[in-house]
Amino acid sequence: MSSIRWTFPSVSGLFPSIGAAATRRVQSWARNRQGLDPDHIELSARRTYILPTGVGMIYALMSFAMLMGSMNYNNNLSFLLTFLLIALGFVAMHQCQRNLVGLDVSFAGVEPVFAGQSSQFRIVVTNHSKSPRNRIRLYVDTTLSDIHDLEPGESQVFVIALATDKRGWVKLKRFGIRTLFPFELFRSWAWLHMDIRGLVYPKPLDDAPPPPASQMALGHRQHDARGEEDFAGLRRFVVGDSPRNVAWKAYARSGQLLSKQFSGADTSSQWFDFSEFDNVGVEERLSTLARWIIDADRTNEDYGLKMPSDDIAPAHGEAHRHRCLEALALYGLEHE
Amino acid sequence: MSRIKRHGTDGSLLSSLPWTLASLALALLPHVIYLPVWISAAFLACGLWRYMIEKRRAALPSTWIRAALALACFLGVLFEYQTISGVGPGSALLAIMASLKLLETRKRRDQFVLLFIAIFLVMSALLREQYLWSLPYLVVAMIFIMTAWLRMSAAASESIRRSFATGGRLLLYAAPIAIVMWVFFPRISSPFWAVPIDTSSGVSGLSSTMSPGDISSLSLSNEVAFRVRFDSQIPAARDLYWRGLVLHQFNGRSWKGSEPSMGRRAAQQIEVRGEPVRYRITMEATRQHWVYALDIPYQWDLHKTRMSAQQVLARDFPIDQRIAYQVESYTDYRAGADMNDFVRDRYLALPDSSNRRTAELARQMRRDAGSDGAFINALLALFHDEDFYYTLQPPPLGRNPVDNFLFDTRRGFCEHYASAFTVMMRSAGIPARIVLGYQGGELNPLGNYMIVRQSDAHAWAEVWFAGRGWVRVDPTAAVAPERIELGIAESMFDGIGLEWGLSAPSKFLHQMQLRWDAMNAQWNDWVLGYGPEKQNAFMGLLGMDNPSWRKMLLTLITLVIGLILLISGILALRYRPPPPDRATILYRRFVAKTGHQLSIGESPAAFAMRASTGSRLSADTILDITNSYQEARYGGVDALALQRLETQVAAIP
Repeated sequence: MSSIRWTFPSVSGLFPSIGAAATRRVQSWARNRQGLDPDHIELSARRTYILPTGVGMIYALMSFAMLMGSMNYNNNLSFLLTFLLIALGFVAMHQCQRNLVGLDVSFAGVEPVFAGQSSQFRIVVTNHSKSPRNRIRLYVDTTLSDIHDLEPGESQVFVIALATDKRGWVKLKRFGIRTLFPFELFRSWAWLHMDIRGLVYPKPLDDAPPPPASQMALGHRQHDARGEEDFAGLRRFVVGDSPRNVAWKAYARSGQLLSKQFSGADTSSQWFDFSEFDNVGVEERLSTLARWIIDADRTNEDYGLKMPSDDIAPAHGEAHRHRCLEALALYGLEHE
Repeated sequence: MSRIKRHGTDGSLLSSLPWTLASLALALLPHVIYLPVWISAAFLACGLWRYMIEKRRAALPSTWIRAALALACFLGVLFEYQTISGVGPGSALLAIMASLKLLETRKRRDQFVLLFIAIFLVMSALLREQYLWSLPYLVVAMIFIMTAWLRMSAAASESIRRSFATGGRLLLYAAPIAIVMWVFFPRISSPFWAVPIDTSSGVSGLSSTMSPGDISSLSLSNEVAFRVRFDSQIPAARDLYWRGLVLHQFNGRSWKGSEPSMGRRAAQQIEVRGEPVRYRITMEATRQHWVYALDIPYQWDLHKTRMSAQQVLARDFPIDQRIAYQVESYTDYRAGADMNDFVRDRYLALPDSSNRRTAELARQMRRDAGSDGAFINALLALFHDEDFYYTLQPPPLGRNPVDNFLFDTRRGFCEHYASAFTVMMRSAGIPARIVLGYQGGELNPLGNYMIVRQSDAHAWAEVWFAGRGWVRVDPTAAVAPERIELGIAESMFDGIGLEWGLSAPSKFLHQMQLRWDAMNAQWNDWVLGYGPEKQNAFMGLLGMDNPSWRKMLLTLITLVIGLILLISGILALRYRPPPPDRATILYRRFVAKTGHQLSIGESPAAFAMRASTGSRLSADTILDITNSYQEARYGGVDALALQRLETQVAAIP
């Protein structure tokens, strides 16, 4: 769907630089006018804007030409056709705006991702009215969500995927909801400014060195204890798993990405220390630590994280993993 | 992947393409009879081809093939029409463009172009011909086009019924706005520029030459030539001579007139007496210049129309569309009283070598009669008393048709008698000419107007007397007076029709025909003929006397804005979120009583937490009510919860 582009030129298509500057100004005007939105909002008519599309312009030109023709020939039936087209334009304009007004838009969360992956913001749009809403789409700049129709009472989850390149917060300061229904003569849209953000973990280093032995808590385990002989089973591949642990044979057989699980010494616990690196930059340290955490989490062993600001005691599990990775993601960044 | 696969279509057009094709076909349908067959065939072929391509996910034809086809088709149109302007070649080009555009339509949105073409085709169909069915056609075509338009952007899974319903609903909203615009948009009477409208088929009018004896039977087309609505008293049947054109050059076999010319003096040469006859004519297209009017027209309101020499009305350009005009005629008149010798000789000219016996007879009779008037009477008496017959199927005439007719066959219709009479007059030295037009007409009691058909076409003579001018003499009246008194249609029911070789239709069928014609006449009058005068009259009915176009535009804009606001209101109602239910209303009442404000997006639980400190209500009450509210609102169909909430909220002082 999103691969379909306009066949007709739009104003911004013809004058990209002017269009971009104008868009920025208009957007900041709208932001000042509307203020910050809560996470859940009903679209009002006051904030639903509308403009003709390129097709709409051509349609207007055609109607004008037809009016001239009708006047020239003084033909009452072609007058009627022309006026019907003009009236349809007016009706389409109101229909287009009404297609958005009254929709419920709420933020439905975003999962943390590793830098380099795209952050998937989930927005739920609900149609409480008794009429269907057609061809609704969310967008941020040029990033478009899928198009959905909303039957009366129906809710749909729209996903806006934002590319990330560095750790920290990725903010969705503004997103739009728009529709071209019914005849694509008009584009009606609303801008929403919710205070929503997604967490981006540091990108795990692919070829990280093993955790230094000195950081092993008890020294029982050797760093290469992840040997194949301790193979414990397969589980579904999750983002961040090392490619080395992917069961490629199983993939070739089933087409499903699976990661090998190893049973490590779950009694052992180890500390990963941010300060115990020599001649390594901050980002690389964080990436290395992220890799160690992922690997440790996979083997289900306890691990702790020592950061300059605070320490996270050894533990394991999904929440612990998230806590550690979040600490890495936000290291050195202001808490907002 | 193979090359073909890579360029193949993806089937995404399957849900909308049939509708686009149907819209185009519907738009093209009224043009088919005018277009060369190969264009319609090309459209059909391209449409089917394109559909099969989509169905089989095959590849579109290559650019080279398309370019070659485009060139061939364009040249074909040029060859066919020799021009590319005008409605005929224009619609041919549109049809070609649609066919070729189909072959390069890859994306769904490319169909916009096709639908624009469809709209233009519908418009040119309306420009070409306007019948009673043109309005339903317009509406159906629009519904199809709008449905195709909706389907182009709708989800592929959307049902046809739903697209139809949406399209129909939007058209229904648009209709009142369009009608208001149609009524109030100021009409102007004159076109800006004239582009010919090609109406090559089915147009009939008077022929501009007349050869009695060549064609041995008269075409009795029942087609309407024009309709007349009288504002004043309807003249007697014997005065219903509708003047068309004048023929004055005779070569022994056939009569010919001259092209319409600027006869500045022609109108000045008319003196009128008595009361005028006022009427309005709605004339069908003839592709000729002649404008019909009751003998003799004195004033008319048709644009670019003048009185040509010989007191006939002619327009500067051919009449290729139905036109309506108001005329004032006088049945009692005197025209062309002064005539110089040069012109007089033109009306006396006869070829020397033909019809000698007729000339002989004329001179003989003139001598016997003693005066011109007596001579005319004697000649009419001859037609009446001797065995001359009126028939629509006369025998063919030989090399000297007038001699042949007068002395041998003695059977003929108006042309024969008018021709013979005029030749006789000229032979006797009386200037004479032939007028072609229509005589009579059928009064349609259902619409109170007169229908003049092609079968009412008639030819009569005019003779010139010094001091008196041109005087109409109808020799046919001497032979078949009922033809003049009753008109051809009514006389058919008296059994005369059979005699004329007509199979008389039954009275019932004729009634139906009259009813249909009355509907058509109303349609022509009020819808097609809604011009400056009609509009003015209608504005008068609405209480605006002679409004300026500014005032009308202002009214138009005001009304349209009003209607749009109304529709906007209807849409707002349709799309409004449901009103708050009882539980929500009660909850709001409760929130107001806590003395706190609910912030946007705050959940009831969060609010309860916040409000329980520093409120005049106890924390328990707040919690209870919040629980009841959540139970009533989200807990399903628990009627008790709502009742509990009701009493709890009411209990708060």
